[in-house]
Amino acid sequence: MNHKVWGGLLAAALVISACGTPAPVADQPTAASGGEATAAPSGGEAVELRVWGHQAPAFNAANQAMFDAFQAQNPGVTIKYETFPWDVFIQTIQTSLPAGNTADVILIPGGYTCRYSSGGQLLEVPADVMTLAQAQEIFFAAPLGGQTCDGKLYGFPAEYNLEYGGAYVNPALFEAAGLTYPPQWSNWDAVVSDAKALTQVGSDGVMTVAGMHYTNSDQLFTYFLAGILEQGSDYFAEDGRHFNFNSPEAIATIQKLMDMAQTDGVVDPIIFNAESEWVGESFAQGHNGIGVLGSWYVGDAKIGYPDLTFDYVALPPFIGSEHKFASVGGWGYVVSQSTTNPTMAWKLAAFLGADQANVFAFNSTSATIPAMKAVADDPKLVEAAPFMSAVLPILSAGQYQGNLTDPDQLAYEIVYPTILDAIQGNQTAEEAANSIHEAANAMVDASN
Amino acid sequence: MTTIAQPRPPQRPGVLAARQRRFAIASLSPILLYLGVFSLFPILWAMVLGFFSYTPIRQGSWFLGLGGQNPFIGIDNYIELLTGSGKPAEVFRIAAGNTFLFTALVLPLNLAITLPLAVMLESINERFKTLFRAIYFLPTISSSVALVIIWSYMYAPGWGLLSQIFKLVGLVPPKSWLQDPSADLFGVPLAMACVVIAHVWQDFGYNLVIFVAALQGIPKTLRDAARVDGASPWQEFWLVVVPLLRRTVLLTSVLTVISSLQVFVIFQLLTRGGPQNQTQTMLLSIYENAFRFSNNLGLSAAMSMVLFMIILALTVFQFRLLRTEWEY
Repeated sequence: MNHKVWGGLLAAALVISACGTPAPVADQPTAASGGEATAAPSGGEAVELRVWGHQAPAFNAANQAMFDAFQAQNPGVTIKYETFPWDVFIQTIQTSLPAGNTADVILIPGGYTCRYSSGGQLLEVPADVMTLAQAQEIFFAAPLGGQTCDGKLYGFPAEYNLEYGGAYVNPALFEAAGLTYPPQWSNWDAVVSDAKALTQVGSDGVMTVAGMHYTNSDQLFTYFLAGILEQGSDYFAEDGRHFNFNSPEAIATIQKLMDMAQTDGVVDPIIFNAESEWVGESFAQGHNGIGVLGSWYVGDAKIGYPDLTFDYVALPPFIGSEHKFASVGGWGYVVSQSTTNPTMAWKLAAFLGADQANVFAFNSTSATIPAMKAVADDPKLVEAAPFMSAVLPILSAGQYQGNLTDPDQLAYEIVYPTILDAIQGNQTAEEAANSIHEAANAMVDASN
Repeated sequence: MTTIAQPRPPQRPGVLAARQRRFAIASLSPILLYLGVFSLFPILWAMVLGFFSYTPIRQGSWFLGLGGQNPFIGIDNYIELLTGSGKPAEVFRIAAGNTFLFTALVLPLNLAITLPLAVMLESINERFKTLFRAIYFLPTISSSVALVIIWSYMYAPGWGLLSQIFKLVGLVPPKSWLQDPSADLFGVPLAMACVVIAHVWQDFGYNLVIFVAALQGIPKTLRDAARVDGASPWQEFWLVVVPLLRRTVLLTSVLTVISSLQVFVIFQLLTRGGPQNQTQTMLLSIYENAFRFSNNLGLSAAMSMVLFMIILALTVFQFRLLRTEWEY
């Protein structure tokens, strides 16, 4: 066959492929003008809104109830709710948002909003829906920080991501260890004391029950940052972009995390970590007495382990005298720049994330900490979700974690493995702090 | 009235050739388009991206998003991978060493199991031969995810099957099969050794079937002649069968090396690269930098091109090393 024919076919294939790539975002309407980019559908016209979220039974149950209510209030509107496993969800939004092929409304994880808004892939909240000043009155600063980019509001925080300040406790294990239940810890030493009593080691020397499981990735990262803040220091350098991770406060925090495993022996970090005996499942199976984990797992635990008896209790400040912590923000409702119905999409997003009754329903059903101040102050919330009483008093002590350049890389590739390595006895606290400091700042430099 | 069909005039060679050409184009166009869109274009796109600091969430120029905030940086991505001090580059270099170690362990282990097993299978009754072939091939066609779940239960610390067996026979099992960075087996990190065993168990059925087919293709007369000449069964195997399997060994070696360099699922689900990056592989690094972290597709593309060049070089080397100049 003629070589030109083959060449032509291949060229055609390449051209077709190239045509299939996304239109450059620069040519598309900007976020600021998004509200007027497409006319709203006329009344009564059938509209289908797609909503994306991740697969979490409690979240899905809470959202579905609100979708049903929205559809009842808005005849002609159909909501197509699509959920994905966590990893797939992250990959999907990373590829689909830039491609302009995504859902109208996305329940996006904390810390991701600004990544996409800076690329023009998310719409700014129209002023007639909510202004930033109004949002600051309504929401706590930490979760709102995750939806605010360059002084502009891009979404409604649905929850307050809190990996700090609370822990799951197993009454059976406390009773077996002869400890007071529910625990009333006045300081961190009291927590460690109970954890030591809860620890169980088999005759073969293998730890079967960790007194306190805190060596998970999110927890080590959260308490590392909190430890620095509680001591009155900051993890950002003066320029606000680089990091100050080898300060005396950072080293002291790592040392304390090491001591609890190496000196107090409340956890074996080789058996109990993010890859082996993940804290939530481990707690549900009775493999740890105090599971340090965010309250968001309460909903999943109740669905996944209906017979499990547990409580979610407050933890005292970790290393300082008062609570201080950084939060990734929390899940929030945003509207894609590619939506063809921005008016209806914002109406739905506001219905889900800014309506107090709905936010209350979402937080109480999904067992998530409210980002909305009025919901947190509502006494009915504690009646509906008693475990929240543990963390509600500390919500105002939180701050948004800030621009960490690449939060996932910092948390999961730099901080967590390094601190775990130190806890496992392979490096000193100072070496770990220096290693984190250098790698984190190299990450910032590489992003320039 | 009777109509007599007129014989079709003989076609000129040029007309026939044109028809054949049209038929060939029509037949091959779909698969060529498919390969062009889903194979060739992604490879070329990856080659191009490797020269850019590219992430799709940044605003690039009008031309495929390249340029603008996704600038052309020449071979900087490759220099970073080879000499850079950034965490992704550092982890990638560790991952490259791990990937070679994994391949170096899997290849001989796989061949050492599959070749003798294939010869044994060939020597048994036909009915049992089919049964055992099916049994050995079963893990190969089973879901990798399901197999990893089974192996994760076997490797569970303390209560896992392997630990229980160790205790039953009076041995002390390791504290953790998959997550102890200080544990090793003959100098190989224990976690890596565990993944190698699980992978070989899952994968060896494939090579086994190829070897069985190759053994069936060896002319019986050659083995008969060896026996007539007084060769023992061992001599028959070593001096007649093995040399005649050289092409098959080449094929299975190349396939095993390529698949070992590209193993992903078992590492991702069993160890996620841990402990302390001891089971981090090149493909895991590519995946994490492309999709888990800040979508650094430029660097990931450079990583994938490095992997591509390694596979290409190893394949060419193996072909040269094991090529034969004869047929039977």
